[in-house]
Amino acid sequence: MSCGKTYLTDEVKALVGVTGERVPASLWGIEREGLRRFCQALMDPDPRYWDDQFARTTKYGETITPAIYCTYLDRTPPGAEDPVTRAFRENPASDGIGGVRRGRGALPDVPTELKRILNAGNEIELYKYPRLGDNIFSQAKYASIAERVGSDGSHMLIVTAETRYTDQQGQLLCITRASTIRR
Amino acid sequence: MPTAEELRSKKQVHYDDVKEGQEMPPYVIGPITPTHIFRWSAAIENWHRIHYDQDFAVYHDGLPNVVAQGTWKQSVMPQYLKDLCLPDGWAWKVSFQHRAMIVPGDTLTCHAKVTKRYVKEGLGFVELEVGMKNQDDVETCPGSGTIVLPLRGGRPVPYPFVPPKE
Repeated sequence: MSCGKTYLTDEVKALVGVTGERVPASLWGIEREGLRRFCQALMDPDPRYWDDQFARTTKYGETITPAIYCTYLDRTPPGAEDPVTRAFRENPASDGIGGVRRGRGALPDVPTELKRILNAGNEIELYKYPRLGDNIFSQAKYASIAERVGSDGSHMLIVTAETRYTDQQGQLLCITRASTIRR
Repeated sequence: MPTAEELRSKKQVHYDDVKEGQEMPPYVIGPITPTHIFRWSAAIENWHRIHYDQDFAVYHDGLPNVVAQGTWKQSVMPQYLKDLCLPDGWAWKVSFQHRAMIVPGDTLTCHAKVTKRYVKEGLGFVELEVGMKNQDDVETCPGSGTIVLPLRGGRPVPYPFVPPKE
């Protein structure tokens, strides 16, 4: 039984479909050393990611990266303010990541008084593996915002943001959808 | 988990080889250590202290220990499906929820069970119930996935992947 007010206001509903700018999602493109570190941390020894000669014999025809790798390339550029130092300067008990700084291409905040954010799940669609040398671009949008009523009658929002990753030729690599619960 | 040599020489599983209800070969990962978790944070530059600072994780955030990252799970699940499809199939979709935490000492088993199979435009689509259970059989990320396998004697799965028309 619902005992709370609705948080799915017209202002919140208007966000569905709002799309951010298409922005570079990698600093220097995909390079071999970063790929090695990523694959070893993932514990994926697939030779398609490092053995150029073998990779040429596969259906991909060249060395590739894990499909999801293109979503992890947004790094702090050299010369930019150090985010770790900033986080602890602002709060000596920082969690290490500090306050969220909205960068280029980011979506506007959801206008709600619901402050608690929980990770509800992920969806991933894959179309092409990134390659060494690729420059990656991303574009985010609000795919859906829905309201649910919890067993205690409290209302919550389920916010799903979709991000499309493409290469320098506009070829779609993957689509991710991250859902969060606001309560 | 498969070795590099196993991935290099893996034989293709065809659509004709799988049946509804069939369990696909599992992946076993672990035991996970704090160093594995720290290495992932370093590789993707995730500085959140709950992943490498045990005092912060336990005394500030009330967690049982440092915890593995959701991004790691989000990366392992496509890897698992990719390896099921090699060399010529395609891991098209995967979705899952984040449930139980993964902590040092856990040994994880990625699993997949065929829930539905169908042919469209000459390609074999296999829908899966997927997840990653810990050593106590607790599900850490229940979800679903779709892989695309070639039919025996059928056309190759296109690359880049082109989904069928609805």
